[in-house]
Amino acid sequence: MKPSPVSISVRGLTLRFPVYGVDAKSLKKHLARVTVGGRLGSSHGAHGATEVTALTKLDLELRAGDRLGLIGHNGSGKTSLLRALSGAYEPDEGEVEVRGRIAALLDLNLGIDPSATGIDNIRLRGRIAGMSSKEIEDRLEDIGRFTGLGPFLAMPMKTYSAGMQARLAFAAATSVEADVLLMDEWIAVGDAEFQKIAHKRLLGLVERAGILVLASHEVDLLRLYCNKVMRLEGGVASPVTDIRKLDELLAA
Amino acid sequence: MEVATYMLRTGRRGLPFEFTMALRDLRMSFERIDLAWALARHDLVSRYRGSILGPFWITLSMAIMVAGISAVYSKLFHLSLHDYVPYVAIGIVLFGFISGVMNEGCDTFVQAAGMLSQTSLPMFTFVWRTLIRNLLNLAHHLIIVVAVLIVPLPPAAESYWRDSNVPLAALGFVLVALNAGWTSLLVGVASARFRDIPQVIISITQFAMLMTPVFWFAGQFPSRHAVLLFNPFYHMLEAVRAPLLGKAVEPHTWAILAVMAVVGWALALTVFTLTRRRIVHYL
Repeated sequence: MKPSPVSISVRGLTLRFPVYGVDAKSLKKHLARVTVGGRLGSSHGAHGATEVTALTKLDLELRAGDRLGLIGHNGSGKTSLLRALSGAYEPDEGEVEVRGRIAALLDLNLGIDPSATGIDNIRLRGRIAGMSSKEIEDRLEDIGRFTGLGPFLAMPMKTYSAGMQARLAFAAATSVEADVLLMDEWIAVGDAEFQKIAHKRLLGLVERAGILVLASHEVDLLRLYCNKVMRLEGGVASPVTDIRKLDELLAA
Repeated sequence: MEVATYMLRTGRRGLPFEFTMALRDLRMSFERIDLAWALARHDLVSRYRGSILGPFWITLSMAIMVAGISAVYSKLFHLSLHDYVPYVAIGIVLFGFISGVMNEGCDTFVQAAGMLSQTSLPMFTFVWRTLIRNLLNLAHHLIIVVAVLIVPLPPAAESYWRDSNVPLAALGFVLVALNAGWTSLLVGVASARFRDIPQVIISITQFAMLMTPVFWFAGQFPSRHAVLLFNPFYHMLEAVRAPLLGKAVEPHTWAILAVMAVVGWALALTVFTLTRRRIVHYL
């Protein structure tokens, strides 16, 4: 569809988070630290906060049609990697290069106003995802039908269940015709019927020569959607391997 | 509309590179200014959702405030309605805009935490969102300003409209908006990092409202008195209010506002350049 092929290329990516505790966010503490001098500061990073290294020297090359599953314990850096791929987190070292439209479905509540109606929230999410208001109006009916929420679309979002919210978010985010879809595992919240239509749409995306990166603990989910898998352990990535070797990777 | 189909993010490459990236963020935000507009509009609509008058509450509550203050203070100060009402109406409306941009600027990035942590949207989009939201608010107040300028108030038979220099007031307002803009960006970054800042800013704006000739007349002090000369809020008010009331703006007011805008934006952009990568982690 696009002249330039879709690709993700990550070279030597290192992400460090300064952790600003509740204490560190207080101006008084910060000023106190300045007056105390270097002693306290010596155990801290450049900005007066402890630094946690989330990802270390990560390399990753993905081409059109790749569906990468990310596995790893809580806090192993899966979501951090997704956020770096989405462009939200800037690398401390290395490069992240993405060709293609990116759609990140990391947080269910992105741009969601609980007191606005489902329709308004679709509009809002569409705008955030980069659609013009005309594009949104053109697709509104499609998106609405896809959510399967029917009359509930005219109701405020706060009346929705988590599954209904997931339907709406998924429908709005995937309607952008993204080339690169980044997903955290929340997709599993929908019911069986929704899982089925979501599955169809995800396969459609991959057929359009897109890239999917999915972080999940669910082995079955990964086997369903992914053809490659990578394991993160304390911010260090394993080589990308075929999904058929998932068991070996999990055992390692 | 095309979404960015190519994205390159790299590690630090020295100050000039960081500065280009900050400018890039600024440029991208202008390319997607319609998003800032849509978000600002949504903010305003959702604030008044379910109310019968909707956003016209903004106009109504301001009208009530102007009427009340005019009734009480014109008696206290022994001033005619003709002298006092337009003066105080323009003062309150304008000060409301300036303090609104500053106070709400504190929430600019904090409020956008969800969007900033999973999209590559320009950070400046959210600065414009705050500014546009307050401009929309101001637009609702404009009705009152126009009304007090057009309607003749006792004891005078003539209104101010004939003497109003609207283009000059508009120019003054551009300077006001520029100054409010950099303040908003600066406090936005600072509040994301230090959660005490919003309280500091609220204290400053409340204090400034009483120290600035909003309700009282600047003429009660000599024009170079420290209370006026070193009060940036006074110069911001004067640049718009004086031309509308057919009075001259002192040259040093223009100079101070222009210098403040240039120095302020330079400072705010420098801070933004240095903290841009970190803002998302502050949240």
